[in-house]
Amino acid sequence: MIYQTPRFLPGGDRFMEVELGDGMDFVLNFRVHSLASAIREEKIKGVIELVPELASMMVSYDPAQISYDDLSKEITRLHEAAGQGEIADLPSRLFSIPVLYFDPWTDECIEDYRAKVAAKTPDPDLICELNNVADRAALRRLHASSEYWVAALGFWPGLCSLMPLDDRARLVAPKYDPPRTWTPKGAIGLGGALTCIYPDQTPGGYQLLARTPVPTFDREQRLSAFKDSLALFRPGDRVRFQPIEREEYDWIEARVEDGSYQHSIIEYQMFSVDRYQSWRSDISRGQQSDISRGQEQVEMAQ
Amino acid sequence: MSSDSVHVLEPGLETAVQELPGRIGYWEQGFPPSGPVDSWSFRLANLLVGNARDTAALECQFLGPTLRLERDVTLAVTGADMSPKLDDQPIAMWTSVKARAGQVLALSAALSGARSYIAFSGGIATEPVLGSRAVFHMARIGGTALQAGTTLPLGTHGDPAFAPKTVAEDARPTLSTDRLWRVECVPGPNDDWLTPDFNEAFFAAEWIIQGKSNRTGIRLTGPEFQFAERAFDKKPEHGQDPSNILDHGYPLGAVNLAGQTPIILINDAPSTGGFINPFTVPSGAFWKLGQARPGEKISFVRTSVSEAQDLARRLDGYASPASLRDV
Repeated sequence: MIYQTPRFLPGGDRFMEVELGDGMDFVLNFRVHSLASAIREEKIKGVIELVPELASMMVSYDPAQISYDDLSKEITRLHEAAGQGEIADLPSRLFSIPVLYFDPWTDECIEDYRAKVAAKTPDPDLICELNNVADRAALRRLHASSEYWVAALGFWPGLCSLMPLDDRARLVAPKYDPPRTWTPKGAIGLGGALTCIYPDQTPGGYQLLARTPVPTFDREQRLSAFKDSLALFRPGDRVRFQPIEREEYDWIEARVEDGSYQHSIIEYQMFSVDRYQSWRSDISRGQQSDISRGQEQVEMAQ
Repeated sequence: MSSDSVHVLEPGLETAVQELPGRIGYWEQGFPPSGPVDSWSFRLANLLVGNARDTAALECQFLGPTLRLERDVTLAVTGADMSPKLDDQPIAMWTSVKARAGQVLALSAALSGARSYIAFSGGIATEPVLGSRAVFHMARIGGTALQAGTTLPLGTHGDPAFAPKTVAEDARPTLSTDRLWRVECVPGPNDDWLTPDFNEAFFAAEWIIQGKSNRTGIRLTGPEFQFAERAFDKKPEHGQDPSNILDHGYPLGAVNLAGQTPIILINDAPSTGGFINPFTVPSGAFWKLGQARPGEKISFVRTSVSEAQDLARRLDGYASPASLRDV
């Protein structure tokens, strides 16, 4: 559901939460990103930072430069100017991330949890079971078949929330309960309907299915992709997973180690929300039954 | 070898370099601002040594470090009283101290309060990371907490003629003596996920600070939260628990509710997550969060957005040269 006008909620003296709707939905998330870029372009005096999320954004502001009421008026004005119709094209980089599915390191992590915490179904098999996927090979094909949208980043530096742009690749999974105390750096996980790439060795709750040798976070800023930040992704980027075998994994890892690895980043594309929408409705014809089945599973998984 | 630095003999408990305004501009990628929790005491320490008030200085937590000065320096210690000594002689807090190369500054455990700040003339000159020297220790960004045997580079001397100063009594934060902190708190963003009755009860209760607290958050123990209808009657993507909400941004100071455990998110807190934030502690009350100790109590004082903004302005006024007196 998308609200007619944004809802403004105070977070103390210098933060404002702006809710644009209720639910996890592409159109809603695009509107969040589109409003965030409008706010940035407008360079509203006193706005310090924006954290766009799935259906809302957090705004930090300096009350000495703009009042809460004036800030909400400005944002309402930009929201109205954007209208309810077409969403302008968004600049969106496309990253190709090589991944080894069902790799030995996430296996070890899963086995460690199964031995010490809870005897759960191994993560890839659980994902297959819940999503009516025949086997691991089919899971790999399905998971790697779609481009993913970086809907938000947060919780840990560089940790991304990815939504598959192709509904046919929509997979769901419950989160670990209790959470894991450690996850290998570079592990790929699925939780709810979101995929994430663990930027560092951290605790975690998503079901694990793969690992990438490519860093998405680099506190040393060694590789060229990190010259402007320690984190690879920004909200509104897109990601494609490129399945690789162990030999290529080791080769890429060695190039990351020696500092010569260059990320595959396409920087010259705009993302047309309108054309995406019409493509999406084209492919959804005949997929209706599958999608509603997916929805039920989300409800079970949550 | 003498150099423009400070040598770490004992690191203390997660003593780290902090700076203001912190790491700004990377929040949307998940980087918290970090910076000192008690910016009031932090800024006064800098002013006492002739630095700009937001210059990089040390934040000590519960147990302070032992440091050997490698050059002549003016230093000042503010915040919690960790019985600072220079070559075994007690030195005054809230006051500029001229020290010579080779002397040893030692802080011990905090008698009251939790965080002390040590500023050096010229400031600390570690390499900025993403625009700031503030350390986010848990993710090792901008460095880590101090380690024994390492050195901290100092910036160039400030004004050599700078005359020692002290902070006027009425411009210093008063550390709680009755172990009860009255902390200003603004309803929202998600106060409507709780019952109206609980919105009252929250401000009437005394909350106990748990031991499991650090620079990411302060955990509290208190009465059971009572959820309004919308915490149960919601779309499945919000998650199952009444405290779950669709992933959203977390304001600093949020009283973040995970299940039944409220955690006040402070300087190194996660930027986003899937739990509600019914209340938010405003910036003007952060110094209290920085000085409150496990086992002590917090009673929240209902504050409006504009009152919270006035509070921040007043506090900002204290952290100015007008608060200093000649000694």
